[in-house]
Formats: sequence, C-alpha cells, structure tokens
Amino acid sequence: MTAMSPRTTTGAGPAAAWLVAGLAAIGFVWCGLLPRLLRYGPVKRHVDLMEQLDVNPAAMYYTELDRLPLRPEWITRRLTLWPTPPQPQR
Amino acid sequence: MALPHSGPTRPRFQLHEDAVAMAIGFFIVAMALAVTWLGRPHDDPTSREKYPKGWPTPLAATIDKPQTWADSPTEALVDKKGKSVVKAVVLGAGWVVLIGIAATVLGGGSPLPVLPGAVTIAGLACGAYFLSSQKLIHYYNLEYPLWALAVGLLIGNTVGVPRWLARAPSGEFLIKTGLVIFGAEVLFGRLLELGLPGLMTSWLVTPVVLVTTYWFGVHVMRIPSRSLCMVISADMSVCGVSAAIATAAACRAKKEELSLAIGLSLVFTVLMMVAMPPFIVWSDMDQIVGGAWLGGTIDATGAVVAAGESLGKEAGAVAATVKMIQNSMIGIIAFAVAVYWAGWVERDGSGPRASLAAEAWSRFPRFILGFLAISLAVSWLFSMGPAEALWVDGTTTGFTSRLRGWLFCAGFVCMGLQTNFRELAPFLASGRPLVLYVGGQALNLLLTFLMASLTFGWLFKKVIEP
Repeated sequence: MTAMSPRTTTGAGPAAAWLVAGLAAIGFVWCGLLPRLLRYGPVKRHVDLMEQLDVNPAAMYYTELDRLPLRPEWITRRLTLWPTPPQPQR
Repeated sequence: MALPHSGPTRPRFQLHEDAVAMAIGFFIVAMALAVTWLGRPHDDPTSREKYPKGWPTPLAATIDKPQTWADSPTEALVDKKGKSVVKAVVLGAGWVVLIGIAATVLGGGSPLPVLPGAVTIAGLACGAYFLSSQKLIHYYNLEYPLWALAVGLLIGNTVGVPRWLARAPSGEFLIKTGLVIFGAEVLFGRLLELGLPGLMTSWLVTPVVLVTTYWFGVHVMRIPSRSLCMVISADMSVCGVSAAIATAAACRAKKEELSLAIGLSLVFTVLMMVAMPPFIVWSDMDQIVGGAWLGGTIDATGAVVAAGESLGKEAGAVAATVKMIQNSMIGIIAFAVAVYWAGWVERDGSGPRASLAAEAWSRFPRFILGFLAISLAVSWLFSMGPAEALWVDGTTTGFTSRLRGWLFCAGFVCMGLQTNFRELAPFLASGRPLVLYVGGQALNLLLTFLMASLTFGWLFKKVIEP
C-alpha cells in the first residue's frame, strides 16, 4: 500500500510567509475580485443565462448534470439504430 | 494510509492497493444499490417523469458539496431551496476519512496514525470545493480538480508535507477507488443512445482522433513521455478531465502529466464553450449538426450542455447525447489503454516469448478490471427495465457520483501536495504539449464537423427532421 512521502522545504519562516501570502491572494481574488467580475456585463449575461437554463457547466460527467440528458421525443420516435430509407411512393 | 510494512513484523492480512480499491469500490456500489432499493418509492416507481434523476436515495442526505456562491462563501452552505447543506458537506468529507481508514486496515496498517492526515486532506478537499463553487468559476467550467491541485501545490511547495500528513491516503489510491466507483456511472447501453448517426459521430471520430494525436505526439513531435501524449489525446478526444483521470491511471502517467493535461483541457474548454455557439450562429450552421459538433469536440460534459443549450433546446439535447455516448466510451478506452501499455509500451522483449503474456499481466493495473466489472454489472441492471434504470440513476446521481467527486477532489489535493513546481516547469517551458493539444483539437474539430454534417446533416437528415 502506498502513502505520500514527506516533503520538507528550506527555511520555516519564509515558507510560512509564502503560504500566508498565497492564502491572502486567494482571499482577495475569491472574495473581492471575482464577485466584482460577476457584475461585469458579458460575464453577468453568461451566468444569468446558465442559471435561467438550469445548466451546470462544471459537470465533469453526465451524472453530475442538474438534468439528465434525455432524447427529444422526435429522436425516440423517428430515429432507429439502423434507419431504413424511405420507401418510394407508388 | 499506513506506510508499507517490511521486515519480520509484516502483518498476515495485507492486500495490494488495487485489491483494496476494488474491495472498497465493490462494497460501496453494492451498499448504495441496496439502500436505494430498500428506500424505493412505491408510488409509480417506473415513471421517468416523476423521478427524472432516478429514485431518490436515502444516502443522498449523507453526502453533498458546497453550493454555488456569489459574494460570500457562507452562501455555499445553503442550497437553492434555502436548506442548509452543512451536515451533508461534513458527512461527505467524513466518507473520505472513512475510506482512508478502511483502506489502512485492509492494507494491514493501524488506523490511528492515519487519522489526522486523512481529516486534513478531507478538509482541504472541502476548501477546494468552496473555491470551485464560486459562481464565476462554476459557470465558466473551471472544475474542482484544478483548485484541488492548486491547494495542494500551494501547501506542498511552501510549508511542505509533514510526516503526520504524509501518512494520509495517497492520491493514486483515492483516484483508483474513485474510478472503481465511477464504473457504476459508465453505462454501455448509453452508447447506442442516438442510433447510427450518434455511433458514427462518436465511435468513428473519437478513436481516430485519439490514436492519431497520440501517434503524432510520439513519432512526429517526439515528446519523450508516451503517457503524457496518451493523457492529452484522451482528455481532448473523449471527455476531458474524467477521461484524463481514467487513462492516466491506466497508463501510469506521472501526476505532473495528469495535472498538465487537465489544465490544458479546462482552459480550452472555457474558450470553446464561449466561442463555438456564436460561430455556429454566425455561419448559419444547422442546429442539429451544430449540436453534434459541440458534443463531439468540447471536452467537458457540463460545458457541452451549456454551449448546446445556448443554441437551442434541440441542439442542447443532441449535444448532450453525443457527449453522453463519448462519456460511456471511457470504460472501453481505459481498458484498451491499460492492455496496450502493459502488453506493448512497457514490454521487455528480452525474455522468452511465452512469458510475455504473464509479464504483461503482472504490469496490468488490476483496478481497471474492477472498474469494468462494476460498469458491466450496472449496465446489465440498467438494461433490465424502466424501474431498474431509475434505480441505477437514483443511486449514481444521488450518491456514487458525489462520493466519486469527493475522492477525486481529495486525490488531486494529495497529488498537488506531492508535486514540485520545478518538475512542472520543463513540461510548460517546452510548449510541445500545448501544440499537441491544439493540433489534436483542430483535427477533432474538422473530423467531427465532417462526420456530423455527413450523418445528421445529409445521410439521415430526413429521418431526424422533426
């Protein structure tokens, strides 16, 4: 059974400072910048459209979609696995 | 997970990592199906209209992830109906810890030393989910693996990985277990969903693009890592991150290679999701052909639906269904890649010919068999009738897909923790993976357009016209 291997970085002080700086940057971007960008015209239009259509663009697989893809009725009715060509009219 | 035991104190009961992943995966899928069956609705249990996502499963209350939020992360703790998801999110993280502990015990280790690391990894996965559920990030399809990797990279490359944290489950194990559980979502019946035009668009183009891109990367661009070429080819031609994860596990790609392939896929998915629908409208392309083109080319499933629905309902339905067919090809492709890798790429031809098969078998990633076995069993159950289909859909959408998401997220945190920025630099500096992705995607766009036009726009046009 495998496990992770421990990793050490040089200098505990600077390492912690880099971590704090990284966390501060995440806080600034996620709680300050992104909420502001959400109100920007094209972005807002895209997000509003997705919410209105009830679409989850972040779904990795079809089972994560808010609605499972269902074939439109016309596909179910008219499309067969091996469609036969239309018969000539007499 | 406990470090491997060695020496005279080796315990009597110790399973291989792949066997542990399979045992846990089988148990979870069987348990989830049983619980959903016990809680099945007695009121019209075969009605797809009544249960569009399958039978509601009692297990859904035990797992969820943070919801989308706009201004404050606290919004993520309440769902669309205003109900708190705190308990379900905490329990979701708890499943990761529980699986880590179970794996340690099955692997012959002691669970207590693993606990602090497993809890921390689950907490970091929760943090990554919070980052990915910000509305702008969410609706532009920048999926959680990216943020899980980023969280792990930030910690691993600053304060490092202390010994207590290193005892946590390894990323590879979590992803293998997630993949075995993922088998329940890969239904072979879905491959025939759109009939012959769907088969021609997905079955012919996808393997051709995958093999051509891989061959081009290895023999023309001479990228030294074959596994990197394979992961990029699979995520670009099949279905993005999920295909990258499955093929990376099948060909034992390095974590840096998987991270790079996922990054490329997500960036191009955003660009294609935004740019392709306006192009289809501008070029006055047939909606159905446009939908099939989107479904066959955009990597991520959610982005395909987003782009298709922005064109119209018909295009959205065709796009989603073509992508669903590609989704269902993951099982076959992962198995084929595992066989090819074990039998040809990693082959040592110096031994006697008779031992080649045995040698290939010794290298074969066994958990892929678990993934395939669950996929076949659940596909068979799904095909039994409408009630069974709702049973499977309810189990997967309500529980196993969420648990698989948590395991992947935690796995990517671990991979980020173990990845050195310096190891990523050579891949980024050469620029060749980017060229391979762009070249492969260009071929994919061209071939899928030709095949969608041939099938949906010409050969079967009369048949599919509403």
